[in-house]
Amino acid sequence: MKTRYNILVGAALILGLMILTPAAATAQEYASDPQFRVKLDFNRWHDVHELYDDMRRLEEAYPQFLKMESIGKSHNGLDIMVMTINNPKTGPEMGKAAMYIDANIHGNEIQGGEVCLYTIWYLMENYGKIGEITRLVDERVFYIFPTVNPDGRQHFMEGDGGNSRTGQVPVDEDNDGLFDEDGPNDLNGNGVIETIRKYVPGQGDYRISRTDSRMMEPVPFGETGDYIILGQEGIDDDGDGMVNEDGPGSYDPNRNWGVDWQPNYIQGGSMDYPFQLPEARAVNDFLMAHPNIAGVQAYHNSGGMILRGPGAESLGEYPGSDVRVYDELGQNGERILPYYRYIVIWSGLYTVHGGFIDWTSDGLGIISFSNELWNSSQYFNSPELMKQAEDPDSPIARNRSRYFFDDKLEFGDQFMEWKAFDHPQYGEVELGGSWKKTQGRVPPRFMNEELCHRNMAFTLYQADEMPMMQIGEVQVKKIEDDVYRVWIDLTNPKVAPTITARAASNKLVRPDLILFEGKPEVISASWISNKNTFDYLNPITDLIDQKELKRLIIRNGHPGKTTRTLQYLVKGRGSVTITYNSVKGGTVSKKLSID
Amino acid sequence: MSYIYLTKPKLKKEGTVMITPRKTGFNHLVFKFLVVISGILICIIPGKSQPAQAEQGYQTYDELTHELQVLVKAHPDLARLESIGTSAEGRDIWLLTLAKKGSVPTEERPGLLIAANFEAGHLIGSRLSMAMAEQLVRGYQENDNIKQSLDNHVFYIIPRMNPDGAESWFGKLLTGQKGNNRPTDADNDGRMDEDGPEDLNGDGVITVMRVKDPHGLFMLDPADGRLLKRADAAKGETGVYSIYLEGIDNDGDGFINEDPVGGTDLNRNFQHAYPYFKEDAGRYMVSEPESRALMDWVISHRKVAMVLTFGESDNLIVPPSSRGQLSTDRPLDLISLARASVEGASRVGMISTGGRGFDRYSMMMMSSRGRSGGQGATPESTGRQRPSREPATTVNQGDIEYFSTISSKYKELTGIQTQPVLRNPEGAFFQYAYYHYGVPAFSTPGWGITLPADSTRRPGARGTMARPGGGENTSVMPGGMARGGQFPIEGSSSSTPGIDAQFLKYLDSKNIQGFVNWEKATHPEFGEVEIGGFKPLEISNPPITEIDKLAESHTQFALYLSTLYARIRIVNTEVTSLGGGLFMVRAEIANEGFLPTALRHGVQSRSVKPTMVQLGVAPEQIISGSSKTNFFQTLDGSGRRVKYEWMVKGKSGEKIELKAVSQKAGSDVKTITLK
Repeated sequence: MKTRYNILVGAALILGLMILTPAAATAQEYASDPQFRVKLDFNRWHDVHELYDDMRRLEEAYPQFLKMESIGKSHNGLDIMVMTINNPKTGPEMGKAAMYIDANIHGNEIQGGEVCLYTIWYLMENYGKIGEITRLVDERVFYIFPTVNPDGRQHFMEGDGGNSRTGQVPVDEDNDGLFDEDGPNDLNGNGVIETIRKYVPGQGDYRISRTDSRMMEPVPFGETGDYIILGQEGIDDDGDGMVNEDGPGSYDPNRNWGVDWQPNYIQGGSMDYPFQLPEARAVNDFLMAHPNIAGVQAYHNSGGMILRGPGAESLGEYPGSDVRVYDELGQNGERILPYYRYIVIWSGLYTVHGGFIDWTSDGLGIISFSNELWNSSQYFNSPELMKQAEDPDSPIARNRSRYFFDDKLEFGDQFMEWKAFDHPQYGEVELGGSWKKTQGRVPPRFMNEELCHRNMAFTLYQADEMPMMQIGEVQVKKIEDDVYRVWIDLTNPKVAPTITARAASNKLVRPDLILFEGKPEVISASWISNKNTFDYLNPITDLIDQKELKRLIIRNGHPGKTTRTLQYLVKGRGSVTITYNSVKGGTVSKKLSID
Repeated sequence: MSYIYLTKPKLKKEGTVMITPRKTGFNHLVFKFLVVISGILICIIPGKSQPAQAEQGYQTYDELTHELQVLVKAHPDLARLESIGTSAEGRDIWLLTLAKKGSVPTEERPGLLIAANFEAGHLIGSRLSMAMAEQLVRGYQENDNIKQSLDNHVFYIIPRMNPDGAESWFGKLLTGQKGNNRPTDADNDGRMDEDGPEDLNGDGVITVMRVKDPHGLFMLDPADGRLLKRADAAKGETGVYSIYLEGIDNDGDGFINEDPVGGTDLNRNFQHAYPYFKEDAGRYMVSEPESRALMDWVISHRKVAMVLTFGESDNLIVPPSSRGQLSTDRPLDLISLARASVEGASRVGMISTGGRGFDRYSMMMMSSRGRSGGQGATPESTGRQRPSREPATTVNQGDIEYFSTISSKYKELTGIQTQPVLRNPEGAFFQYAYYHYGVPAFSTPGWGITLPADSTRRPGARGTMARPGGGENTSVMPGGMARGGQFPIEGSSSSTPGIDAQFLKYLDSKNIQGFVNWEKATHPEFGEVEIGGFKPLEISNPPITEIDKLAESHTQFALYLSTLYARIRIVNTEVTSLGGGLFMVRAEIANEGFLPTALRHGVQSRSVKPTMVQLGVAPEQIISGSSKTNFFQTLDGSGRRVKYEWMVKGKSGEKIELKAVSQKAGSDVKTITLK
């Protein structure tokens, strides 16, 4: 009886295990459909508070890696939030190279905020699941700023979308002593600043397009049209006889930085001096306090570009060794990001004086990119459709494709039709002919997750290729009595150097240091050309002409994907610690004993 | 180090970059407390209680502060004292506002900003601006010019822009530093301020060491044995001396005094022609608390219509040339040569042979489209860009005449004919004030070196300057120095020949003890050396006996400047009734001052606002003629006029306000009655 009972119990146990085991196995099998700990959505646009709320949820879910803090306030008093991703178990923050990622310096260029949020979320959700992600989080530090212009973002999200490139520090554009007193007005209250047109039969210079009645076109020379265009929706708020002449802000937060800064008459919107804007100042204080930052990505929109400096021709092209680094990263970026071109700002886009990534590259010595997110070629992106778009009679011909897209894919949600309005100054007019703020510079919502992932992937690739110093093989050989020869392999397996050539010539980064701690006396230090042939062929050594041989200065750092062999001749025995200390390439040590 | 500063910032051992500490209120208080305590401590240390320079007539920070407070207390109706910010070490930067209260509020009046002592040792500027302030407030009752000026205009005086740096000129030892003491890593070796000068001969000043050296590049100058010149091999001359700054190699890097306490030179920290990446120019434009305080003040006081600074650059003794260029530097070669001895320090550790990046990896992956080795994205102009605009670097042709007129008056009043030691005005505040802020802006050292007529620059002086950047230790990585445009090549500190001989003659003729004669001393590394050369205080400042005269004439000059303001007036308004409720309103606006309402460059740079002329009616009342709101860019002075006319619909008897509002030339309002 007892035995049978035991057997039963045993059978039940086995049965139970059989039930339980497949359950556990199921979770494994469905790893491609992970159960995310924090559920976020990337098919919509977040205002500043929603962004920060989501960041807080992530911070609460992953407190061992995430730290969220404010680096300062915007002009309107919103926090500028940074999320630090660091695994303290793999070393202190300052000892690891850091990737700085920001977005939205232009208030209306919003989707970079979602890319940032996606990046934090993706790294955390996949830590411990995907090996490469785990390694990246363990090896690197990330500073992520979903919006460095919260005023501009909030103005864009809350308002009609107009005048949002700028921040919200008031500027007197019309020189009347009043600030921001006459911006556009949403007269019909539909949330969009539309165009004003007036019907003037036979006296106008515009007509309705024959291709699509939603489009207006200027009349050809010698003809007259039935419409005139009266500018943006608005009235003369301050009664000075002019309409919309002084809207909010109206400067460029991305021209207020410390390299090649130029006054307003050369570079519009630069303000009076670099870092005058509270947002730029807060970000710069953060950058200056984090010399471990070795990579920068600043997300903008739009056009599909992977931009690097210089922003102006007068800055001069980067030294060749730096260009090689940018080229490798940028060209792989083009493979990661279809429809994005890798180009130089001044030659491929336009001249920028005092831009952010010129400051980080030429002023701080950081490898810096700026992606222009979203390219309208992505609306109709198969080779067949792109060919068809060349045909002017096709419904997806270049000038008509966005209307077709709106009709068939957005169900007409984004275009504002013309409608009558009684204007206080202009009389009977029509408002319309405009797109909602969520059309054009940002992708259709349903396409945003791919944008987030591909751009993140490029930025993580850049982060992975930040410098990382390693000490490789060490050989100690007795030469005579108590004189020894020590060979140390120093390697940076990544693409980026510990110090860019630009940084070295501008003295931007503290030089790398090689420290020799221990009793033996260093007689000489030198680089050797090839340790494999050293003992057989005529050895070439490059003597290091420095006075303090136990603290060598490597002013232009260690190049990417390079191993150098350092030779010490030392006198005396004992244990020695060799440390390679690099501000951007990390700090590594190795102990060896000389005897 | 053998000298003590009032408060010496803690040195960082392995500093990386200059980090701006975020100041909290609490820390700030603690800091101020420490300043006070250390001040007291220093006062009770025997031998240091009496600042060496006090008898020279220059004021310590405390003395200056006291004098300002006394002045304001004695003239509460004319003078107001405020702090525009605090220095890095916590001292207030004082701003004295002089104006008699009247119907036009002080901040609405056209003003003259006088700022001095940007360079730490330019104490004369501080002294002159204080003396000017005193004379202005004392003369208010008797002197009608002063009364006029204080009744209608305003003087803003900042006697000491660089209180931290200036204070180091009242210590036991004069080093000649110009900066604001902020810790810097001048040679970028990871250590801050680790190798400053030492007073080896104990004379209280840092001068120069000459050392017998078979590798030396210099020889005694045959014209004056106190000076040295570069030996010219083409003339068969052999160098026998090396030259260094007085001191030892504290950090054992092979260079002497390459990273002294110095900090940022405030007159190198402003936005025009900013010398990027030079160690004394600060980390970036307006990076210092002092320069930032001044910038924030000037941009919020746009009625400032003229700027006068005292400093080591000049456009008054010698006005801008006909091409609009200012005087270049007038250095002392002896000091430049000694400084050049440390040029190599910031190149130690440049590896030129080991830069084999990517050598283990195939170059194929580097560039799929490049010509050779990764030139893939090397930019070429696509021609789509708008032509790149360059900022103005010379005085606008239309403004030059104003500068030369004012310069002539300056020389007439002060009698100064010859410039003393000068520096190129790159990054100087007065240059910002003209090129970016758009107002007439002047700089003068405030004194000159008058000489007997026959002594001009010594012959053959040209080309005796050492070329920094040559010589040892110049291995540069490939491509590293490939810089274009506005970043000056490192070490191009001085290219004009020095005025050593001229300056020595000036010292001799005035019997000023401004040159330490060479004397033997023992140096821990070199053994026997000779120490001598120009003394820091006398390089930058005139003898004390001349201060009163200079103060008097500079006050006259400031008063003269305050008669030059542009002045907008509405003149000749007239109304004609056209019947049917229509009226023609005509008005003329005149500039009754001397200066234009905006300089030509002020217009070009869009830094001075256009003058607004506005008729106070509803926009729809205007039938034709001018708009309700009109702007003109500039109007010359001496009575030039502009005309406006409006056809207005209104009621007879209706009163209309006509406004003319100028940024630099005051405002005027007239009420017009339709009839």
